[in-house]
Amino acid sequence: MKRRRFLKILLAFLGSITFLSFAYSFLKFLTSLPSKSADLQKLTIHKSDVPSGEAKNIIYHNTPAVIINRPDKGYFAFSRTCTHLGCLVEYSKSNLKFICPCHAGIYDLDGSVVSGPPPKPMTAIPLKIEGETIIIG
Amino acid sequence: MRGIMRYGILSWILLFLLPSLGTAGYKKDFEDAFLTKPWAGEQIEENVCISCHASQTMKPEFQEITEAWQASWHAQNRISCEHCHGGDPRDAALAMSPQRGFLGTPKDKDVPEFCGKCHIGILTNFLESGHGKALKAGKKAPNCVVCHGSHNIQKASIDIISEQLCTKCHSYERAKIMKVALFVIETRISQLEQRLQKLKREGIYPGADEKSLFSTQAEFRTLFHTVDANLVRSRTDEFTSKLDQIDKNIQDTYQKLRFRKNLSAFFMMAFACMGVIIFLLTKTKDE
Amino acid sequence: MLTKIKNWLDVRIGLNTIFQTHVLDYRMPKNTNLLYTLGFLAVIAYATQAFTGIILLIYYIPHPDHAFRSVQDIMTQVPYGWVFRQMHAVGSNLMIMVAMLHMVTVFLMGNYKRPRELTWVGGVLLLILTIVFGLSGYLLPWTQLSYWATTVVTSMPTAFPVIGETVSQILRGGDHVSETTLSRFFALHISILPPLYLLFMGIHLFFVNRIGISATPFGKADEEKRPLTEYKRKTYPDGYPYYPRFFQKQMYMMMAYFTVMFFIITFLPTLYFPDEANVPADPFNTPQEVRPAWYLLAPYQLLKLIPNKFFGIMLQLILVLIFILWPVLDTQQEKNVLKRPVLRGVFLSLIALWVILLWWGRS
Repeated sequence: MKRRRFLKILLAFLGSITFLSFAYSFLKFLTSLPSKSADLQKLTIHKSDVPSGEAKNIIYHNTPAVIINRPDKGYFAFSRTCTHLGCLVEYSKSNLKFICPCHAGIYDLDGSVVSGPPPKPMTAIPLKIEGETIIIG
Repeated sequence: MRGIMRYGILSWILLFLLPSLGTAGYKKDFEDAFLTKPWAGEQIEENVCISCHASQTMKPEFQEITEAWQASWHAQNRISCEHCHGGDPRDAALAMSPQRGFLGTPKDKDVPEFCGKCHIGILTNFLESGHGKALKAGKKAPNCVVCHGSHNIQKASIDIISEQLCTKCHSYERAKIMKVALFVIETRISQLEQRLQKLKREGIYPGADEKSLFSTQAEFRTLFHTVDANLVRSRTDEFTSKLDQIDKNIQDTYQKLRFRKNLSAFFMMAFACMGVIIFLLTKTKDE
Repeated sequence: MLTKIKNWLDVRIGLNTIFQTHVLDYRMPKNTNLLYTLGFLAVIAYATQAFTGIILLIYYIPHPDHAFRSVQDIMTQVPYGWVFRQMHAVGSNLMIMVAMLHMVTVFLMGNYKRPRELTWVGGVLLLILTIVFGLSGYLLPWTQLSYWATTVVTSMPTAFPVIGETVSQILRGGDHVSETTLSRFFALHISILPPLYLLFMGIHLFFVNRIGISATPFGKADEEKRPLTEYKRKTYPDGYPYYPRFFQKQMYMMMAYFTVMFFIITFLPTLYFPDEANVPADPFNTPQEVRPAWYLLAPYQLLKLIPNKFFGIMLQLILVLIFILWPVLDTQQEKNVLKRPVLRGVFLSLIALWVILLWWGRS
């Protein structure tokens, strides 16, 4: 009888450890959303850094990004990663477009594809304007 | 009653089988029936340029062009005749019409702009280089086709810089210096490429790192076209740090994979032990 | 404390009597073996799929632009997301295997024979539902493998002369696999199939319990003689109580099931994920090899072999029909499969053929 009791206790012990491991995993699964930590990293720049009609290259969350000051529509931020194969697009002031130097993907200043191989528009990054500063993210 | 039911069912079966008395070649027919449009999605459209240039009525040199293109990296990425030469690939009458933007064969001097329609970063760097300036001045100089070929264009690699190719105009010494300057980064890039492939096989899709690697490689290679070894050397650190970042991401991912293996092994052992205990429990009970 | 709760419940539900009749006094035949637990295992497999599926539902996004990325996020960003995804993916294959094993053992023991025909029909329908579950779920990660395998499968009804095209259109929601198909399959997978499955499972289990477990010894001397004129539940008064012995067997098999599942997750995590399963779907690029999942490889290979595609599909349908109606078609009284060499031979060679076709279809 002693052996049976021992086995039963061992079974209960193992069973609860397994169950608790799953429960723990499930709880972490539900609660630790990665974007929470990302929210803490916001980038702040001054309006004076981006004159009208110009664009500035920045790094946001380890990815190259660009913030552009459109005279008619204000400030916009995009990821510079071309949606085709990942090259970095460049702002062309003369053409008023974003151009990718790898395979001539061309985006307009809204980020949408005008011509070339990119399958999707540029990823927009949200930003907020507070007074003289721009908060990106 | 039972007998009638059996015969009833059997006769229904025969009735359905009657229409299928035709025959056909199986594998090809299957592919034709199930793997081509409209439901397959992939639209393999007829290209008028290829139909004419590959036919027997063409000069052998022209026929070779289509074969060369089929083997190229361009062909694999669905870049075909009209993307470079213009014209209309669907309309035989207007296939080579200037109305549809047909450009014909570019002259040697105009080849950089011809390829630079798409490869604009490289065009900029090339025109600034010794090679580019010489070409525009009318001197003996290489254009894109000299090193990369015109139709059988393969993925660029450092081996294009070779004694055989570069000594056509000058000593190999200068080309060697370039090759040495590029070598370290190029090797590292191909190693990282392989490791990313391996990672994909483990079930992780390293999308961001793949794009970052491609971008770094592209930027590095356009730099080559300036044929300025000093420039390449001075910017090597910058590229190395980008590659280091990708390397670190890969290491982190492998570490995560190791943790996962341990955790699922733990679960497996837990269940196996519980199974053993239950088995022992059945044995220890006297009936 | 526990006794107090039990008594409280007993006064209101009569819990003790239920427990007494169905667990403690329920007698299992003396010679049951582990194979008798396969049905229970299928229920456990279904429950695992349901739980892990609901958990995955929390982060999955059913739109072509986001589906692949959301599954990747579950695998790489969400803490322990990979555990639940792997359990769900491996579990789906294991569940189909368990269901098939259960079917094979039931067939070989002749347990589809009267008065258990309805149970068998319900079982085959459950197997078909399980496979439809697998089919609809296959598309959801929106990978190259998903997209093209679904393209092939949804094109098969076109072999029918008049209604074929319409059926394919209904399945796909258009001319080719698109976001409509994804929405459709998603709705099927999470909201139509689960209650259907539960319904059939409930009916199936009710039948099993109502008519009694079928066990050896079989033979013409068995009480299930012709003609059957009245309902009689099969009981085993000299068998052993369900609890604890048979319950232990079931628990043991459940542990074995999860051990196998986690063995695959630990040592063979890419068993069900070939290269095409790790790249996003590209409607303009057909991969070299377009193959459905392993449980559909045998029918797929058969289809490739038969020259005429209409005949091919009809043959498959007819085989399924024969399978469903087998209790009615099988007229011999003899229940003991050891005394029926022809049936045994035919059945075993059909299984061998199935395995051969499967292996052939892999290359």
